[in-house]
Amino acid sequence: MKIKSFLKDVGGASRVTKARKAKFDNASGKNEYTDPINALARELHPGKMKVRITKVEEVSPTAKKFTFEAVEGKLPPFQAGNYVSFSFQIGETKTTRAYSICSAPYQARTGEHPFFEVTIRNGRPGQGFVSTYCYENWKEGDIVIADLPYGHFYIEPLRDSKYIVGLAGGSGITPFYAMAQEIAHGTLDADLTILYGSVSKKDIILVKQLTAVSKECKRVKFINVISGEGEKLEKGDEKGFISRELIAKYSLDGNPSNGKTTFFVCGPLPMYNFVAKELAALNVPARRIRMETFGAPKDISKAEGYPVELIDKVFKMTVVRGVQEDVIDARADEPILVALERHGIATQSHCRSGECGYCRCKVLEGTFFVPSVGDGRRAADKRFNYVHACSTYPTSDIKVRIPILDD
Amino acid sequence: MAFYKEKYDAIVVGGALSGMAAALTLANKGKSVLVLERHNLPGGLTTSFVRGGLEMEATLHEMMSIGPEDAPLKIRTFLEEMGIKVDWLRVPEAYRIYVPKESIDITLHAGWTGSIKDNVFVPGEFNMAKEIDAKYPGTFSEVNRLMNLCAEVYNSVNVLSIHPMSKPAMLLKHGNFVKTAGYSTSEVMDTFKLPQEVKDILKAYWIYVGSPFSELPFTIYAVLMGDYFIGGSYVAKEFSHELSLRMQERLEELGVQYEYCQDVDKILVKDGHVYGVRTKRGDEIHADYVACSAYPNTCYGKMIEPLSEVPAGAYKFTNAKKQGVSVVSVVLTLDKAPKELNIHDYSVFASDGDMDLDRLWKQAHTLGPYDYTTTICLNYANPGCTPKGQTSLSITFLPLSDAFETIKADEYFEVKRKLARSLIETVSKHLGVNLFDHILEVEVEMPQSVAHYTSDYLGGIYGFQHSMDDHIVARLQMSEEENYIKGLSFCGAHAISGDGMSPCITNGRKAAKILLDEMSEEGK
Repeated sequence: MKIKSFLKDVGGASRVTKARKAKFDNASGKNEYTDPINALARELHPGKMKVRITKVEEVSPTAKKFTFEAVEGKLPPFQAGNYVSFSFQIGETKTTRAYSICSAPYQARTGEHPFFEVTIRNGRPGQGFVSTYCYENWKEGDIVIADLPYGHFYIEPLRDSKYIVGLAGGSGITPFYAMAQEIAHGTLDADLTILYGSVSKKDIILVKQLTAVSKECKRVKFINVISGEGEKLEKGDEKGFISRELIAKYSLDGNPSNGKTTFFVCGPLPMYNFVAKELAALNVPARRIRMETFGAPKDISKAEGYPVELIDKVFKMTVVRGVQEDVIDARADEPILVALERHGIATQSHCRSGECGYCRCKVLEGTFFVPSVGDGRRAADKRFNYVHACSTYPTSDIKVRIPILDD
Repeated sequence: MAFYKEKYDAIVVGGALSGMAAALTLANKGKSVLVLERHNLPGGLTTSFVRGGLEMEATLHEMMSIGPEDAPLKIRTFLEEMGIKVDWLRVPEAYRIYVPKESIDITLHAGWTGSIKDNVFVPGEFNMAKEIDAKYPGTFSEVNRLMNLCAEVYNSVNVLSIHPMSKPAMLLKHGNFVKTAGYSTSEVMDTFKLPQEVKDILKAYWIYVGSPFSELPFTIYAVLMGDYFIGGSYVAKEFSHELSLRMQERLEELGVQYEYCQDVDKILVKDGHVYGVRTKRGDEIHADYVACSAYPNTCYGKMIEPLSEVPAGAYKFTNAKKQGVSVVSVVLTLDKAPKELNIHDYSVFASDGDMDLDRLWKQAHTLGPYDYTTTICLNYANPGCTPKGQTSLSITFLPLSDAFETIKADEYFEVKRKLARSLIETVSKHLGVNLFDHILEVEVEMPQSVAHYTSDYLGGIYGFQHSMDDHIVARLQMSEEENYIKGLSFCGAHAISGDGMSPCITNGRKAAKILLDEMSEEGK
């Protein structure tokens, strides 16, 4: 066929149809389905899996480190700083909790018994309901449900400096232990200086472990910053808070504003607020600050814009799943996710900080409050009353539509 | 506990654009419809995500066939007829193409003096032909002639996809469509007397159909060029998620039950006819008609229960089809305004080598580096997409999945970063600005990311490759004999019209139409 003559050629359609028919006729009529891309995607994100506790170790007077192995199959690869989300059934309540993985990624993928670890602190009275449960009940041999990895609090070489200063408080130290070990193992190319702020040296976690890593590996420095009066300091410790002076002292070139140091911050809310101010005062570029999420506010009545007069109310919440409706109680001072969990309604959630969006659902009727800090919703979701249940508080009787999930 | 009705008229597997278009069409005919979506968001890849408090587009998301409000094209019209009003923002230019080795650097805009009204094509002068002529004098008439041919074929395809006609009638009314149908894009382009640089400029969009021009039917090229240069492209103001969510909201208003987090494991078939589905959760839900967004490969490969109900012809179909491209995309939020980063365009196609598409296509079979990049700075279409003083930028190449099939879990992060690093370096070089010094947030999408969120076969985003032996015209002619199981139709980029957000909507409508026709034949 002469190409130049195509404008006269009216047989093209039959020709391409013939070509297609011939191709189909010559193809195999057997099922040859394989999909290695989906197979790898499932290996990277296996979803909920059973894991067995193989070791429990005290890492402070009030904290334990738990070691887990997969009951079946392999643990997925993850990045130092990722978290694991555990599912619980405690009494009637079905819930989840996210804990930073404190072991190194390589440990989950190599050796005879690949494992991962989390460190959990015993909650104070009235707080940390699930942490207390784990601390008191989890023992060697127990099988629990884990879902990993999640989160964005990891060193991203495309974005972050190779020189990292970790600013940690309380249990916020755990992701840094993962990073430190991965660096020491030679599989994470970074220099990490950890400033660990505590009131007293008596009850701080993973200190022995972190000291050991910093002795073994020159790229990891570990500095205790102790604020309590009358505390005995050892060589290398700093006194006071994680102040701008200390931050500057441990930045590369002593200069936190030159963009050569990336700051990773993980700790309780008051520490965030303090450190955020110090970093701002030092003119640290925004791209050099990484903050881990920190859970729902302990007291929603203190959130800006919250209608305080409602705090003691208990509302009716109609829960729509498919064509079914159930009515439950929902306390004004708790996220609607917690109300669902208390009634044993299956939900999905991971970060519990408003960020990850796994608990996304729709408010069909009624009013609600979402604290502006940690409102990780999409613009169109806000327009159509989609909320993240973990950071949404009812301010009237309310009707929500949630996904149908496994009981 | 009963979460579902006893029976639905139809179940749609997958709540992305195509599935939602199918559900809208079915609901509009008064059918009871259940949509089952595995993710907890609507829209499939037509979505966005939030990082560090910033909403980011999942990838380059221009919507075609929208057209201005006063000259609406078919997708705007369809959405409006369905009661869906999206806040569309017009994309400023079609593209800038930058090929330093050939000294090509030109920006082209949509718009022409011709018209397509009531399906009647009236030729005109294309702005882009003038823009090309200004740099390559004497080329106007040939470029304009080519563009008018594209526009005419584009119109014919739109007309014929809704009103099939006999061959003599087609020849009379859509002659150029008929006459070009048997030729590849290269073959048709070669009949135009144009300098090599101009031909190369006209190749820029090749990546959006994921085929080298030696294999790409001219019909598809014509539709693409007609669509982009007549109507221009659009983005939704509140990101792609706005479009998806508005469609889903409308579905629910129409009484369609749309359920998130429901992964359909099996499509149940008895005596050659669908009778329902079973989800991974274990719910068996009944309907005699299913519109399936999963690729036929996945559907016939493992979803039909029992597999013995799948005829050999269906496997011949899936085995003969060539899988289309997937995606590698680096999505960035940068800490300076676009102009401060020397970014002045919405859409830039660039080649670090030449524009030999067969050569670039070979690269598409590898893990890079890739010479051809698509860079989109969303701020120029949607200034509110970031806070002031920041930039939303994505860098994309669309490779085939084959090179990605051998990646091992333990090297996944490394491979991903290596690819992303190379793409960011390439664009940094073009801009003369080191983008690594400005990254606030970065996400990298790979075929595996697509598989993770959608479970689409091989992480494909574009369905099957358009080629001369799987030609759109042949697809249309053979479509009826390819319904291998009664009560089952397919919607998604893998269906007849192929890839892109607009074609997916068209595919969904078509999938619904197939089911509606079967329903009426079967007296349902």
